[in-house]
Amino acid sequence: MAEEKKQPRIGVFVCHCGTNIAGTIDVESVKDYAATLPNVIVADDYQYMCSTPGQAKIIDAIKDHDLTGIVVAACTPRLHEPTFRTATKEGGLNPFRFEMANIRDQNSWVHMHDPEGATAKAKDAIRIAAAKASLLEDLYPKSVPVEHAAMVVGAGVGGIQAALDLANAGIKTYLVEKNPTVGGRMSQLDKTFPTLDCSQCILTPKMVDVGRHPNIELHTYTEVESVDGYIGNFDITLRKKARGVMSQDEATAKGIVGGGCNGCGDCAAACPVIKPNPFEFGMAPRKAIYIFHPQVVPLVYTIDFDACVKCGLCVEACGEKKAIDLEMTDTFETVKVGTVILSTGYDMFEIEKKREWGYKQFDNVITSLEFERLICASGPTGGHLIRPSDGETPMKVAFVLCAGSRDNTGVGKPYCSRFCCMYSLKHAHQIMEKIPGCQPYIFYMDIRSFGKMYEEFYYRIQNEGAKFIRGRVANVLEDAKTKNLHVYAEDTLLGRPVDLEVDMVVLAAAVQPTENIDPVRKMFGVSCSQDGWMLEAHPKLNPCGTTTAGVFLAGVCQGPKDIPDTVAQAEGAASAASIPIHTGKVELEPYFAQCLEEKCAGCGMCISQCPYSALDLIEKDGKQVMHVTEAKCKGCGTCGGFCPGGAIYMQHFTTPQIVAQIDAFLLGGEQ
Amino acid sequence: MAKGYNDPAMEEKFQDRYFHATTESNPEFIKEVERLGRTPAHMCFQCGTCTGSCPSAPRSSYRIRKFMRRAVLGLEREALTDPDLWLCTTCYSCSDRCPRDIAPTDVIMAMRNLAFKEDIVPRNFLKTIQLIYNTGHGVPNNDVNRAARVKLGLEAEPETTHKYPEFIPGIQKILDHYHMKENADRILSEGEQ
Ligand SMILES: Cc1cc2nc3c(=O)[nH]c(=O)nc-3n(C[C@H](O)[C@H](O)[C@H](O)COP(=O)(O)OP(=O)(O)OC[C@H]3O[C@@H](n4cnc5c(N)ncnc54)[C@H](O)[C@@H]3O)c2cc1C
Ligand code: SF4
Ligand code: SF4
Ligand code: SF4
Ligand code: SF4
Repeated sequence: MAEEKKQPRIGVFVCHCGTNIAGTIDVESVKDYAATLPNVIVADDYQYMCSTPGQAKIIDAIKDHDLTGIVVAACTPRLHEPTFRTATKEGGLNPFRFEMANIRDQNSWVHMHDPEGATAKAKDAIRIAAAKASLLEDLYPKSVPVEHAAMVVGAGVGGIQAALDLANAGIKTYLVEKNPTVGGRMSQLDKTFPTLDCSQCILTPKMVDVGRHPNIELHTYTEVESVDGYIGNFDITLRKKARGVMSQDEATAKGIVGGGCNGCGDCAAACPVIKPNPFEFGMAPRKAIYIFHPQVVPLVYTIDFDACVKCGLCVEACGEKKAIDLEMTDTFETVKVGTVILSTGYDMFEIEKKREWGYKQFDNVITSLEFERLICASGPTGGHLIRPSDGETPMKVAFVLCAGSRDNTGVGKPYCSRFCCMYSLKHAHQIMEKIPGCQPYIFYMDIRSFGKMYEEFYYRIQNEGAKFIRGRVANVLEDAKTKNLHVYAEDTLLGRPVDLEVDMVVLAAAVQPTENIDPVRKMFGVSCSQDGWMLEAHPKLNPCGTTTAGVFLAGVCQGPKDIPDTVAQAEGAASAASIPIHTGKVELEPYFAQCLEEKCAGCGMCISQCPYSALDLIEKDGKQVMHVTEAKCKGCGTCGGFCPGGAIYMQHFTTPQIVAQIDAFLLGGEQ
Repeated sequence: MAKGYNDPAMEEKFQDRYFHATTESNPEFIKEVERLGRTPAHMCFQCGTCTGSCPSAPRSSYRIRKFMRRAVLGLEREALTDPDLWLCTTCYSCSDRCPRDIAPTDVIMAMRNLAFKEDIVPRNFLKTIQLIYNTGHGVPNNDVNRAARVKLGLEAEPETTHKYPEFIPGIQKILDHYHMKENADRILSEGEQ
């Protein structure tokens, strides 16, 4: 700061943004006004300032007029601040001598119907920006090293794919899954549209790969306990839930030679406690010591300690393997990673809340995920679709689409769940294939078969004989004697009410974010959109990123998507997450607090104010002074606003800069 | 039947069957319906849940969804002159279930109000007005009902204007304020001419 200060020389550039700005704001008069402001040496305008010729104007003006600061009045810093900073740098100035006036998002767009007011507001914004630009200083970003490791939270198909990509790129990857096995929802599916591959068959090889990849450290039955740090240096504490059973590696580590769970299942055979298996939605039993299904990864049994009576029969059955420890407790482990991918997937909406469709009231109304288990060869009925009421084979099945989706009543979900149209077509195909003569009726509002080869799939199912009725189901009632169901709707194309008697109703229930996801999301500083899905940094330009640097999203946790889209996004997230790791360092924006040590009284009161724990007191020249851990400081300004001695100095948002902005606004430029 | 162009039945068939969105619809109609009905009728996406829920639809030609469509498109004449407008029982089943949170019942009520302004009301509705005016009831008590009530151990007349006829003038005052009876009498007498 001590360097000799030149008289400020500012250049102002007003962007038309096509008609986005110029359609509302009188750009010419704004530019002329800018030229009259104090310290402004040159003012110009251009159709698209972000274009190459637009940027060239900045670069040339810096050289031609020996400028010290640049103001661009345009869209939004979120979109183009980096662009104009680069241009400022190319012109030979420090990039932090650039200031943006937001005259599109915060002006022409919102004041579209008031051109005069918008023009006046643009002048204010530029005057304020120029006042700050006159006081801007050179700043230098700090770079911090990035840990050569990543974490993926959630091991559905999205998390599995992201972990494999990262691991194959040579990055040590921690894959964390709350369930005892990886696989997520996809392992509950029978076949997958539109190719009708067997879901387990295409997923299992990937599950096995994550289980034995040398770069992947798999933590199943584990949850994130706490998160500390920042991009490049996250310290994440994991809670490894007590599973009651040791893997072979864990046993070896404990010195039990040749011991550990080998998945033989002798324990489960001995266990006397029977519980419903949640993987089969309670349609099949499991023991207190269990695995979800035969293909689990890792193949290690888990004890449900809420159900276990500690009889010890399993310990006996396990014998020499000594895998079971009935006194096992949760353990904690902290790992350091550079970047994180969240891939926590979805749950089904509680469709019983829409009482008119009778789920949980009538035996033969089931959800689509229950259907997947019933039609699956490895499911509770060995692949025989049966009516829960009497075990009979249904010959007429109604599929209710948009069950709780596209629903603005406050009971359902306002969004389209995106894969139900397609899986309901698949379900219709499956019953026609497996049960000769079985007739599917699909009640739909629109069929949204948007993907590659999806419309062709629709065509195929229609050709196979599925009946489509355009109308949303109004209600379902049961014939108490036969347990058959009456489906009421309007065939909107005929304009006639429909009363269809069927053997079974399958509800394509809406999906919603995984339960209890909010604490996890908040630990990583990721916001959610109105409907609870995790929020991407930008829906079009940064769909895998979040507003927390170094944290990325993959799969349905960001919003409903099918397997192809989930996998594509997972690969995108893995690529994005590997960039800082391969670069080895990240630059931090130099907006951190600084301490003017001669003014600091060493009171330490700022320390408790800082939401990011970035401040400490240190001893310097025999005096206590405040010290900032720059990598932790987010530049929020809490400490700067608070310090009673005015000793804290916020880079790029200094008190003189802010006072100059306020003066410029209040005094109308007559400083 | 000989193929002839003088045949009125054929003439009817040859008529233009296109929907002329710009000439048939009145954009003010939806605004008026929404002002009276206080429900966002223009958000209807024609799912048919309303008709599917309606107890009237399976017994008649009445399709509430079609009235929603007419509201959206501003088909004022078609809506107000369709006798089906009067088949709603105002049970509100459709309003309970509409996934767009629209109250189709209130759309029907708004349209009925607009129709009444143009004297388009079925005779039985007008007679109901007269009954309410004279007795305080749309469906007044009768002897069969009285006998049944007594048999059940109730008083012959319920706790209404049947028992307290002194409240009838109050009801008449309300109806007079809206010229309901006056209009009902006038329309009914015009019909009899
Ligand atoms: C009935 C039905 C049929 C379908 N059929 C098809 C089809 O045929 N074809 C197709 O393409 N798509 C289909 N889908 C869609 C498919 O299920 C999804 O696209 C896919 O499963 C999304 O994968 P994911 O990894 O994002 O989420 P998920 O599979 O939900 O995986 C998320 C994982 O994260 C774990 N997790 C959650 N929270 C935490 C936490 N806090 N800590 C650690 N781990 C956590 C979960 O336990 C889970 O294992 C179907 C969906 C349904 C409902
Ligand atoms: S100790 Fe628990 S898990 Fe083992 S057999 Fe007994 S009830 Fe089952
Ligand atoms: S995918 Fe189809 S059934 Fe599912 S909510 Fe969307 S439109 Fe409705
Ligand atoms: S239920 Fe609602 S959205 Fe559906 S057709 Fe009726 S009014 Fe329209
Ligand atoms: S309120 Fe009227 S339109 Fe709606 S369901 Fe009842 S009778 Fe039908």
